Amino acid sequence: MSETVVEARGVTKRFKDKTVLDQLDFSLQRGSVTGLLGKNGTGKTTLLKCVLGLQTPQSGTITVLGEDSRTLSGTAKARLAYVPQEVSLYPWMRIRQVVAYTAAFYPRWNAVLIERVMKDWEINPDDKIGPLSTGQLQKLGILLALGHEPELLVLDEPVASLDPAARRQFLATLLEIALTGDRTVLLSTHITSDLERVADRVAILRNGKIDYTDELAALKDSVKRLRINAPSGLPSNLKSLPGIVKCEADGKTAVLSLRGFEPDLPARLARDWNAEISVEDLNLEEIFLEMYAD
Amino acid sequence: MPSNFLFRIHPTSGVPIYRQLMDQVQAHVHAGRLPLDEMLPSVRQIAEELQINPMTVSKAYSLLERDGLIERVRGQGMRVKAAPKGLLPVKDRREKILPLLEQVAAKAFQLGLTRDQVIAALTPLFKERGAD
Repeated sequence: MSETVVEARGVTKRFKDKTVLDQLDFSLQRGSVTGLLGKNGTGKTTLLKCVLGLQTPQSGTITVLGEDSRTLSGTAKARLAYVPQEVSLYPWMRIRQVVAYTAAFYPRWNAVLIERVMKDWEINPDDKIGPLSTGQLQKLGILLALGHEPELLVLDEPVASLDPAARRQFLATLLEIALTGDRTVLLSTHITSDLERVADRVAILRNGKIDYTDELAALKDSVKRLRINAPSGLPSNLKSLPGIVKCEADGKTAVLSLRGFEPDLPARLARDWNAEISVEDLNLEEIFLEMYAD
Repeated sequence: MPSNFLFRIHPTSGVPIYRQLMDQVQAHVHAGRLPLDEMLPSVRQIAEELQINPMTVSKAYSLLERDGLIERVRGQGMRVKAAPKGLLPVKDRREKILPLLEQVAAKAFQLGLTRDQVIAALTPLFKERGAD
């Protein structure tokens, strides 16, 4: 049942002497909603653009919907959609016109869906594009990407300019897509709280590679913070324990963040070190900060 | 029953959403708010009402099914299967409490308390709950 929609192998993308993507491997399964995370400048946009064939990597291969991303056919393009970070549309058009203009490019267009989403999102079809705010443009960009019901929807920072109400509406629409079960969404974002509701997977980009990818729930189950109090002293090699991502220790007490947590670990460490240990759950933002704060 | 009534989800908590759902179903069953044979809201209903990914809901239901708390009824959804007693074999339930007991043992050792002293302290706690 799990079909690979995007498969990237050994992708390297350089801009002059700056290597942004470095032998990167990445794949997306049909039906998943994947959040792409990474600090500013780690290459999230570059990766999205390479996936869509909008940029060409120096080496490696990317297959999208069964085709080479560099030479996507019209048929494949009609099955995907991309909303860039900054949406630019003809300023002299009215929204109604830009919708009709966009619809004309696609063999299939769900006008009923678009009408409904426009109502839900309080987009007035008679408004002109020119005076729209960044947030309104972003909403419109997402709207236009939904009309042909793409199998693969790629969104670059889709909620960055949206107000909380618009973000909530956007998430509801995204969930509707997720509920169909056969459509795939890839979105980059730095607003992790939104991601926690809708994403079932996360991929974290770092140093040109996908540093971590798994189910979001598995990430939360795996990364924990331990507070340790060992009156008789802690081993000095705490930092070299497997899976440690952050360690602050002073001999008898320590705060450790680690990945690969197992439910029996605290009891095991408590016994080995004769220590008192409490376990803290971390949310996505905290995990991200623990793992990538350096 | 609307899922907003049954569940209260904190997406930004460190506890994964699927586990929040599992814990809350368990709590409702234990408290009798979800009686035997009661149908649970559908995956779609929960996902829509709580605005969370449907796969998260499916995962929670599958794990609860594996634990024997609920069962899948063809074409109808999930139904409460077991009363909390006899929920899992004793062996499995013992496994669940073992990590806590290891902590108790470690702490008791640190404090220089004997096994009998710990058991003596534990006994009234069981009595409070009407069990010997």
